[in-house]
Amino acid sequence: MIYLDSAATTMQKPPSVARAAAYAVGHMASPGRGGHPAAMKAAETAFACRQAAAELFGVADPERVAFTSNATHGLNIAIRSLVSAGDRVVISGWEHNAVTRPLHGIGAEIITAQAPLFDRAGQIAAFEAALDGGAKAVVCNHVSNVFGFILPVEEIAALCRERGVPFILDASQSAGCLPVRQDRLEAAFIAMPGHKGLYGPQGTGLLICGSDPAPLLEGGTGSASIQQTMPDFLPDRLEAGTHNMPGIAGLLAGLRYVRARGPEAILRRERELTRRAARGLAGIPGVHLFVADNPGEQAGVLSFLMEGKDCEEVGEWLGQKGIAVRAGLHCAPTAHRTAGTLESGTVRVSVSDFNTPAEIVCFVRAVSELART
Amino acid sequence: MVYYLIVCRSLTYAQRTAAALERAGITAHILRSPRAIDREGCSHSVKVSERNLANALLILGRVGLPPKRVYLIAGDGSYKEVLL
Repeated sequence: MIYLDSAATTMQKPPSVARAAAYAVGHMASPGRGGHPAAMKAAETAFACRQAAAELFGVADPERVAFTSNATHGLNIAIRSLVSAGDRVVISGWEHNAVTRPLHGIGAEIITAQAPLFDRAGQIAAFEAALDGGAKAVVCNHVSNVFGFILPVEEIAALCRERGVPFILDASQSAGCLPVRQDRLEAAFIAMPGHKGLYGPQGTGLLICGSDPAPLLEGGTGSASIQQTMPDFLPDRLEAGTHNMPGIAGLLAGLRYVRARGPEAILRRERELTRRAARGLAGIPGVHLFVADNPGEQAGVLSFLMEGKDCEEVGEWLGQKGIAVRAGLHCAPTAHRTAGTLESGTVRVSVSDFNTPAEIVCFVRAVSELART
Repeated sequence: MVYYLIVCRSLTYAQRTAAALERAGITAHILRSPRAIDREGCSHSVKVSERNLANALLILGRVGLPPKRVYLIAGDGSYKEVLL
């Protein structure tokens, strides 16, 4: 199979990830729940994972790196820690349902800072205008999971700092390939999955806490057990229940891969593959591409449409040819509404560090064949 | 041999504490706090030798990792809190 659905999850991982997860299954117990070697081995692995993440993401204190089960989990904690019913919250027009559904669920007043696709200056101006009306928080994704648009999050974070508005970053598509630095952003929270650009197993995620969070789950933490409220210190405050040690061990292996390879090198490879796909698709009659004029504004995600063909049918056809892409709305109706593709949806191609130019050639050839039918 | 236990608020804090001490060349061992000194119910401590305590406290102060409490493990196995 040619796997081009890494924006959903990176299925091809460094071999060390599966090895680490398998080792954890047989050798690691529950960190903090015992003093025996298997519990301490788990504790060492969890700490090493926090430390590796803290170093990669510019977090001074590894205690402020909490394990979550995915980015959605982290975003729910972040949003529910800061936002109450009726609060005015500013978001970009490119957000995922992981952001918009919790906000709707809480009953927040959602203000969307609208700007055209791949218009970074327009995006900054839109946030500036929206923030003039005040806000309880800003939630913004770093890279659109539909179009690969890289939002100017450092500038948006600066606008928030100037106004004292907490900033929540959804780094679902950027962690591992773009600079995500808490020491520069000073975000209230940064949520990210462990199973995408960090190459960890599914069921892993990280939440970087610049602010004090409210727990989403309550229960045992292996600490302050007499107290009947959740501990007031991190990471225990957010980590009730048994840890996903196979996931954490695998995530540590993934983080080590990313740090050794370098996010810049990964981004460079993903961009080259995406641009190659774009060049190939551009030559096919009836294909409409969503591609940035400036390559620096787009990460390894590319959406397209085929004239006269339903996007889901395109995805299905490619799947039958052994090419995995994702079609439809990508859990991001807000992004499709902003781009004007809510009715049609799009076909999304998303690459990882493990894709090859030859795979892109095969993919373009398949689309070309479909266009002729 | 006389040892001291540096009581920490969490396992992660104990790991940070131990890592800071190890970086400074002080042998530090993490263990679950004995129930006798664990007022909160479940915590972790970092064990250091008597000769290293003063230096350890100095280092922890410098790196911003103040201990919650410190106990001396007496020869008879009892624990005596050290006033900081």
